[in-house]
Amino acid sequence: MGESLFSPSHFAAKRRKKLSNLQNVSTARQELPAGVLAILAHTGKSRSFLCEEPIRNVTRKGLAGFELNVNLTSYRALPLSCIEGLILKIDGKDINVAGAQLVLNGTGHKFADLAGLSEVWWFILEPAILFVPSELPLAKGSHRVEATLITVEPYVTAGRFSFYHPASSTLTVE
Amino acid sequence: MTEKQGLKLGVTLHSFTPEYITYKWSLEDMLQLVSVLGGGVEIVGPAHQRGYPYLTNEFERIFKSSVERWGLTPTSYGTYADPFMLKDRDLNADEMVDYMVPQLKSAAQLGFSIARLQYFSYTVIERLLPWAEKLNLKMGYELHVPLMIKSEKTQELIEQIERINSPYLGLIPDTGIFARSIPEFCLTGLRAAGVAEQLVQRAIVLWNARTSNHVALEELLKLGLRKENIGTIERVWGSFGWSEPEELRDILPRVIHMHGKFFSMKDGLEPDVRFEEVTKVLVENGYGGWMSSEYEGQDGVNTFDLVREQQAMIRRFAAKYAAN
Repeated sequence: MGESLFSPSHFAAKRRKKLSNLQNVSTARQELPAGVLAILAHTGKSRSFLCEEPIRNVTRKGLAGFELNVNLTSYRALPLSCIEGLILKIDGKDINVAGAQLVLNGTGHKFADLAGLSEVWWFILEPAILFVPSELPLAKGSHRVEATLITVEPYVTAGRFSFYHPASSTLTVE
Repeated sequence: MTEKQGLKLGVTLHSFTPEYITYKWSLEDMLQLVSVLGGGVEIVGPAHQRGYPYLTNEFERIFKSSVERWGLTPTSYGTYADPFMLKDRDLNADEMVDYMVPQLKSAAQLGFSIARLQYFSYTVIERLLPWAEKLNLKMGYELHVPLMIKSEKTQELIEQIERINSPYLGLIPDTGIFARSIPEFCLTGLRAAGVAEQLVQRAIVLWNARTSNHVALEELLKLGLRKENIGTIERVWGSFGWSEPEELRDILPRVIHMHGKFFSMKDGLEPDVRFEEVTKVLVENGYGGWMSSEYEGQDGVNTFDLVREQQAMIRRFAAKYAAN
C-alpha cells in the first residue's frame, strides 16, 4: 500500500487536484478576448445627483416652472418612501421645494407624498425629472445649481437614518 | 460541463457599480466580463434586475442568454429585507414575507442555487423555508459587518440554523469582517465630507480598540461630529470588522457561499483585509463553494483589473496552502 489516507501529503495532493481551476491564470491584458477588451475601452457619463442636461422652463399640467434631470444617488433601486427630501439652491439662492415633484416615467410625485410610496421604485439606471414650480422662468444662460438629495438606505443596521448626497454643477437654460 | 471542485472564484456584479451606474458597462457587458473572472456570477436584485422584486420575462431572457453565451454559473442572488423602507415604522412580518418571496422566486427562475439573505430575514425564516425547499434554493444569512462571527446577533443566527438544521439554510460570510485596518480611501472620504482631522484620528483609535458602533458614534457626536456626517461614520463601522479568520473554521460546515469583499489592491495584496488567513482556512478545510469577488472601494479605478488582481492573489494563497 502507498501512503496513509490520513497523511498530510495525501490531503495536499487531493487539495492540489481540487484547485485545478485556480492555477495558471495570468493577469496580462493582452491575453483577454477581443470582446472583453472592447468592453474595457468603453467610456461612460459622469454621475451625481445632477445630470448634465440643460434646465428647461416648462409648463407641467398647467403649472409653470422649470425642470432638470436627476439621478438616484444609491447603487440600487429604492422605493420612493426612501427619498427623504431635497435641498436646492440656484445661483446661491434657496429654492422652496415644497411643491417640487419627482417625475418617474411621466408620472409626477410631490416630495411631500413620497413617504407613502413604498411600492413605486426608482431604478438605478433611470434618471428622473425634478420639476420645480415657479411663476418666473429661469433666465437663459448658465446657473450654479447646488442640490442635496436626502435618502434612506433601508437596511443599514442602525435603523432608518438619513444619508445626504450633495451635488453641484453649472447648468444652462436654453 | 463537469462540476469544478474546491474553492471556486466568481464575481458579484456589485464590484462593477462605478462603471455600471455611469453607463460604461451594461448588464450584458458585465456578464461577459464575468466569463474571464472565474465564471461564477452573483447579482444584486435591486441593482441589476429591472422590475425587482418581480421578474419580467424580458429580464429573464437577457440574463439567461448571457449565462448561456458565456458559460456562466449563476451562484448567489442578493435579496434584500429592507426593514426600514417605510417612513413611520419597520416592515412587519407579513410585509417582509410578501417582499421576500418574489425575490426568492426571481432567484430560482434565473437559475441561482443560493439566495443571500440580509439577517433581518431571520424573523420570518420559518415562513421562507417552505419556499426555499419548493424552489430548491439555499438561503444564507450574510455575515456582513457589524455581524462579525462572535457578535451576539451572529451567535443567535447560528443557534437558529443549528436548531432548524436544514440544507436550505446556512451562512455567507463577507470578508469585510476580517479587516485589519480602515482603508486609506475611506479616511480620505471622511475628510472630504468635512469631518475634522481630530475626529478622524479619534475614529481610527476607536475602531482599532474594537469599540462598538453605538458607543463610537455617541462619543464622536459629543466631540462635535455633525449630523450630516453620521452616515460617513456608519459606513466605517458598517464596512470593516475585526473577526479572526480562524473563527471561520468553526462555522465552515454551515457556510454555503463567500463574499470576497475587498477595498483596494497594492502590489498584488489587499492591504486591509486578511485574505491569506481566510483562504488558508477555506483551503485547509476543503471548502468546495464559490467566493464572489466583491470590490467596494473608491471610484475612478478600473474595477475589472482590480478583481483580476484580487483573484490572482487568492489563487496564489490557495495554491500555497493546498501544497502544504
